[in-house]
Amino acid sequence: MTDILATKPTVTRPPPPRPALALASAIGAFAIGALIAATIQSNLMMTLLTQAIISGILATGVGFLMRQNGAVSFGHAAFYGIACYAIALAMKFGAIRVEVAIMLALVLPTALAFLLGLVIVRIPGVAFSMLTLAVGQAFYEFAMKARQVTGGEDGFSVNLSSTVFGIPTAIFQDPHSMFVVSWSVLVLIILGLALTAASPFGRLTVAIRENEERARFIGYETTLPRVLVLTLSAFVTAVAGVLFTLYNSFVSPDVLHWSLSGSALIMAIIGGPRLIWGPALGAIIFFFAKDIAGDFTEHWQGIIGAILIVVMLVLPVGLGGALAKLWQRRLGHG
Amino acid sequence: MAETCAIEGDQLTRQFGGFRALKGVDLAVPRGEIRGLIGPNGAGKSTLIDVLSGRAPRWSGTVKMFGADIGAMTAQQRRRAGLARSFQRTNIFPDLTVIDQLELAARAAETPNIDEIMAELNLAALAFRRAADISYGDQRRLDLALALIGRPKILLLDEPAAGLSIKESLELAHGLKDLAARWGVTVLLVEHDMDVVFSICDRITVLHLGAILAEGTPEEIRGVPEVVTAYLGTSL
Repeated sequence: MTDILATKPTVTRPPPPRPALALASAIGAFAIGALIAATIQSNLMMTLLTQAIISGILATGVGFLMRQNGAVSFGHAAFYGIACYAIALAMKFGAIRVEVAIMLALVLPTALAFLLGLVIVRIPGVAFSMLTLAVGQAFYEFAMKARQVTGGEDGFSVNLSSTVFGIPTAIFQDPHSMFVVSWSVLVLIILGLALTAASPFGRLTVAIRENEERARFIGYETTLPRVLVLTLSAFVTAVAGVLFTLYNSFVSPDVLHWSLSGSALIMAIIGGPRLIWGPALGAIIFFFAKDIAGDFTEHWQGIIGAILIVVMLVLPVGLGGALAKLWQRRLGHG
Repeated sequence: MAETCAIEGDQLTRQFGGFRALKGVDLAVPRGEIRGLIGPNGAGKSTLIDVLSGRAPRWSGTVKMFGADIGAMTAQQRRRAGLARSFQRTNIFPDLTVIDQLELAARAAETPNIDEIMAELNLAALAFRRAADISYGDQRRLDLALALIGRPKILLLDEPAAGLSIKESLELAHGLKDLAARWGVTVLLVEHDMDVVFSICDRITVLHLGAILAEGTPEEIRGVPEVVTAYLGTSL
């Protein structure tokens, strides 16, 4: 045996996952949410925060796809909007109970993403983004044109029943209580996605993102894992659509428009898509920047654009990524 | 012959537009042999490895592994059947730690033990480092480890010593020979470093312009005037 292949040092195994720590973090996060809702009295502020958190869930879905598949979607508004319209149309035509409609609103976009994914995840880079844009806009155009069903551009109000899963609907429409609900859902989603990302499946999808060819040559089928990431990402997005509909009781084709997907992408990039929680942070920053900038100018998009440029140039890992690095450095230096 | 051959290619042809990279190549590597595959740039060596490993999308001919036709198998299926390969350029997962990617490869190979390969290739000290952050030589060893995990029956190596120093190349080569003997791995080795090829290969096949120019033991190959003229020159 020669030097390069010779020595046999002992391998120290990586530390096992710490579910207790994850659970403690989640409980801490729930408590923070409750504290925010209890502390802030302003309805306006809570409305802003609730919208930010719901959008944060949407952005988390978009960011997860970027993180695991390295794919940029301009069509996630389709999954969000289909969830919104599934509830709205079910209530409009009175065909099914709201609980069933919510289940349908989660299943339909998820199933659509799975079926679409079987085709589109094979397509790399910009072509994938363009395909998602095309698919998303097709649903938007349908909602605009099918006035008899969707109300067209005007949209329509959603007549929710008085309770949803036994919970008074008013809970979902009050900004304080809905903030707690949305925040809790966001925490659960981040926890679930973090566990998924840390699992062998999560590492496999990162490996495929990094080097699909090598993943095939160590024996893995590479299409299905990417399809499953897209499916999970669409499910998360559909959850945001359900919360949006419960909170606003109104849908219009805006929920399907590509600009919503674009906003979610901006949120993910500002917050840092390499972190599971980064896009949600980006959503909060996005909403506050939009609100503050809106006080000064109607061209608030220009300010958001400037923030995006600065983040991409100065902090390519996003604000969340920069915070995480600072935290690690702080821990590293005691 | 067919029963004892680990890997066989019959009449392998691969065409890129008007250029025929392989012109009906016949190759048979017996079980347990280390076969060198040499030839000048553009001879078709990597193309042959690509066809045998399932990387090439369009080709004609027959590929057999231990007598069974594997031509219709995907790259993944061939890997699971025991046919592994490395690549000309380092082909690893830069963002994953060394241990993470070895564990992934071990899972695919259905082997629980990554300690063995980490020890064999001296990667244990690098276990928790991102692959992107380790040296080029370490990356080459990681690349080799990804191919060797699960003790494949056949290993196709495309220039494993590329970019390594002379000392590292020879260490790698002799370590590989030792490992192949202990694990019973059949090796098909594409390599430009003639010191490596002539020191570890049982037999050598010389490719030139997509066809086999000569085949034999290292001593026999040294004595073929066409090979010396086309490739080796007078240095060997």
